[in-house]
Amino acid sequence: MAFFNEKPVVVLGGGIAGITAALELAHLGLPVALVEKSPFFGGRAAHFACKATDTCQKCGACLVEQRLRDLIQESGVTLYPHTELIQAQRPDGLFHLTFRRQPQRIDPHRCINCGICYDECPAISQQAILTGSSPAQHPRYAINPAGCLYFRDGSCRICQELCFPKAIDLDRPETTFTLEAPALVLATGYQPADPRSRPHYGYGFLPRVITGWELEQRLRDGAALEIPGNGRPARSIAFIQCVGSRDQDHPYCSRVCCAYGLRLARLIRHRLPECRLATFYMDLQNIGLDAQRFQEEALAEVKLIRVLPGDVATAADGTIKLRYLDEVSGQALSTAFDLVVLAVGIAPGPENPRLAELLHLDLTPEGFIRSHDDLHRTATGQPGLFLAGTVEGPRSIAECIAQATAAVQQVRNYLEAAS
Amino acid sequence: MSIVRPIDFIVTHNLELRPAGLDPRDFSLLVAGFPNTRVLLLDPALPADQQEARLKAFLHEKARSPVVLAAMDPQTRGAVTLKLLLEKFQLNPELLTVVDLQAALENPDPKTRTLKALDLVRLAAVRVSRAVPLGSQEVPVSRRVLVWGDSYPALKAAGDLADLGYPVILATPHAPLSPLTPSAPQPQSPPEPLAALLQHIQDHPLLRPVTAAALLGFEGVTGNFTIRLCTPVGPLKEQVGAVILAPELEIAEAPERYGLPLHPRILSQTRLEQVLASPKEAAAMLDPQTEQVVVALMVGLAGASYPPALRRALSAASRLLNRSNCQVYLLVGDAKVAEPGLEKFLRQNQDAGLVLCKLSQLPEVTLKEDRPHLTFFDPVMRESLELAADLVVYEEAYRAASGNAELARLLRLQPAPLGFLQGDNVHNLPVATCRRGIYVVGPARAVMDLEEGLAEADAAVLAVQSLLGPGVASAPLGRAQVDRGRCVLCLTCYRLCPHGAIVYDSRADIKELACQGCGVCASECPNDAIQIRNCTDDQIRAHIRTLNPQLAPRLVAFMCRNSAWEAYQAALKLKHAALPLGFTAIKMPCAGKIDMDYLIRAFTHGIAGVLVLTCHPDNCKSHKANDHARWRVAQAQALLAEAGIDPQRLLYKSLAANTPQDLLDAVAQLRAYL
Repeated sequence: MAFFNEKPVVVLGGGIAGITAALELAHLGLPVALVEKSPFFGGRAAHFACKATDTCQKCGACLVEQRLRDLIQESGVTLYPHTELIQAQRPDGLFHLTFRRQPQRIDPHRCINCGICYDECPAISQQAILTGSSPAQHPRYAINPAGCLYFRDGSCRICQELCFPKAIDLDRPETTFTLEAPALVLATGYQPADPRSRPHYGYGFLPRVITGWELEQRLRDGAALEIPGNGRPARSIAFIQCVGSRDQDHPYCSRVCCAYGLRLARLIRHRLPECRLATFYMDLQNIGLDAQRFQEEALAEVKLIRVLPGDVATAADGTIKLRYLDEVSGQALSTAFDLVVLAVGIAPGPENPRLAELLHLDLTPEGFIRSHDDLHRTATGQPGLFLAGTVEGPRSIAECIAQATAAVQQVRNYLEAAS
Repeated sequence: MSIVRPIDFIVTHNLELRPAGLDPRDFSLLVAGFPNTRVLLLDPALPADQQEARLKAFLHEKARSPVVLAAMDPQTRGAVTLKLLLEKFQLNPELLTVVDLQAALENPDPKTRTLKALDLVRLAAVRVSRAVPLGSQEVPVSRRVLVWGDSYPALKAAGDLADLGYPVILATPHAPLSPLTPSAPQPQSPPEPLAALLQHIQDHPLLRPVTAAALLGFEGVTGNFTIRLCTPVGPLKEQVGAVILAPELEIAEAPERYGLPLHPRILSQTRLEQVLASPKEAAAMLDPQTEQVVVALMVGLAGASYPPALRRALSAASRLLNRSNCQVYLLVGDAKVAEPGLEKFLRQNQDAGLVLCKLSQLPEVTLKEDRPHLTFFDPVMRESLELAADLVVYEEAYRAASGNAELARLLRLQPAPLGFLQGDNVHNLPVATCRRGIYVVGPARAVMDLEEGLAEADAAVLAVQSLLGPGVASAPLGRAQVDRGRCVLCLTCYRLCPHGAIVYDSRADIKELACQGCGVCASECPNDAIQIRNCTDDQIRAHIRTLNPQLAPRLVAFMCRNSAWEAYQAALKLKHAALPLGFTAIKMPCAGKIDMDYLIRAFTHGIAGVLVLTCHPDNCKSHKANDHARWRVAQAQALLAEAGIDPQRLLYKSLAANTPQDLLDAVAQLRAYL
């Protein structure tokens, strides 16, 4: 492998699958370049909350945290945050990948994570400054040119002026560079399904309807479960499953929402014993190794209603009324809740079509990257290019880890055969 | 002051220290007042080459003494310095300790911040001055691997390992090899990629298939297990370095799950597939001459059900729907569609005429005029339906291999639900077990699609390769040490070691390749014969002894480094964490190392309150080490009560690494009580 050893294997995507692949490759002694589009590593899964009640619920969120810490201490992996693939060619067996890298506008050596830039930014509602989710990330703030007023019209430099360690320089130029890689692992992940695909749930204009993803972040920040708008703790919460899964636009099961939805419900039951909880669902999927036991335990804490509500309306007191057909009596019932949580599914990453075109890959009808065949979901039609994680289809954290490890084994086999 | 050997302090002058009342220069002078110390004041924002020059002037070529690095957020903001120390100056990681000065800035009163910062670095120095560098050793290991089972993932793992040059014993209780495709009918001859797997293992020089085998004995530790197999040609005893477990699932007809009577028109899924495969039988059962043949398929109505069973039912349904006169009902409880393409397959079948009825309970089956009749409540039509079926087909039970319980006992694996072999702990995912060198893939750990199992076989092969390498494995040297003069061979450690790392000759012997350094053995040893390097009783006692009585309220928290310590680090980064001035966190390698002695000793040194913070139950990397800690707390509380000390001054809490708020709540709870 002498020839290949000098050039890094490129892992595209710094979420749980990409991090796992990068760490495993580094353990094999191979040089690795880990490229992440956003300013922070960890991906979506790094935003998930630990769902332990008085015992571990096996959600796997801690595995992400652990690997993120390992990544920062692993010297065999070169990190490229805030970097995007713009061009790919393969003239001679090597991937010639051209990237555009956003500069570190906040100097990590100077930044003290005081957060003044974030607190004082006038364009924070447009996400001009992004924050990381894990304390392992430094700096925990990053300037987002897409939302920043300075990059729109040059009108604002408040953060740079206020930053007392003088860490911010908005004028640092972005750079482009090319990596030559003997192998490429594609692990660019997914995006949460858009809850507006089911418009009758009123997401976006009813403040009391939030997504599971938003609830995770609130719980993670340790925030109390307040009713948006009036600040009182929620006394009743409804979970609606299969939002962005198993419908016309998403003809597949996202495989994780039942697990996380029920675990979130049980976590809330643990924190707020008085809170009334209901989960509206179609079929329960993948809820644990011993699914029956889990379901029985959940049933004691959460009312499980096997129907999706047909109608959502706001009552006079501001609560959300859900109307649904009762399975037993056949009557249309209406129940009011303080908060409605939509368990959004896994939708294909927004960049998938662009990446597929750049790398000459196929998309599935749903929009995920198509794998070689049903028995090799890490393999693509192209030798040396492998898939890991949710870029290929919905997967849990544990499944992403397994698949990323398998992809590394495939990379290794490929490199050995090639040398 | 009990800094027992020279220490090199490196204090970084971060920008925010001076405005916060902790002037780095004054602070360094105070630190320099400790005995046996030298201090370097360093700017962490300097480029690496300048930092290296300064460190070189301070440490010369190589770090000789232990180093304490005091900085703001040292792990990230001091990353350059840390890397230089460890790589350029070859500092042994055991001789480096970092202090996050943020813990000092927590206090609202600037005057006490310097006092607190001094206390933090002193405690760090006390502990690290007693540290011993941890060496590493090359342990010879056997390169032979035992793959147990005849599932396709087992065959793949065996074939791949043999290709990589590892001698493999592929042993299975079955004869001949009978791998299953869980989500498809069992074919007479397997399709191409799977046939290749079967073929590959038949004539590989390094691969020895042993069918009709039984595992009689399993001893030794990681890298050098001794297996005893009973085979048709006689006993086989062999050394193996690692084990991959992938025993095939058992697919049982189990009509009793559905409470079904014996009847020729009530079939299992497998039987239906056989009928469909034979045109003669199909014609007999599904008479093409009659106007309509009604087939009812039942899935997910009783007991555990999995996506592969639904896929098989749907495959059969689509074949039945191709026959012009078939009316097919799918009676389903929970439709387990959580596998790629399954939801779509279900819809395709519905479009082709499949009638889907979601039931909340089992249909009632009666036999009338030679036909089974199904009575059930249809939730869509809201009425009770009676269906005269020509065929009633029930799904089969997917179960873990029945030999698993015995296998788990022999291999000393933690018990798992439903007879699978991977303890239900997320830290084992994807393929590890509590014992290093024993891996579980595919059907050994859950019912899953073939593709997932094959991917796990890849993951396990990678793990075996990185463990066994070319026949020597590297392990730490001297992490856990047995004082052979004190060991009385009571075997407490042997029984309790969650990693199966302890063997014994005339005394207990800890094998470092398998040891994870959790310290359960050291804490439970009744004769104090075991010490964990750099978390020795001597170090922890010195730590407790040197706590500054001026800082009040005096609270000590023993923290597992995997959860509570990380939560503490995260809490320091929260704004307004506001930990009390006298709060001291003591990092432990695992909750299993929190001795009773430490808890009691803290109170004898005048500590007001003690916290024991561990991982959540079922989330401990060392199986039940957190439970050991909890039991010890209960015991210690009883002792405290006897001695007239309020037992509630000792508090146990479990928390996760990403829940700093839980840590702050625990501290606040204890403080409020005091």
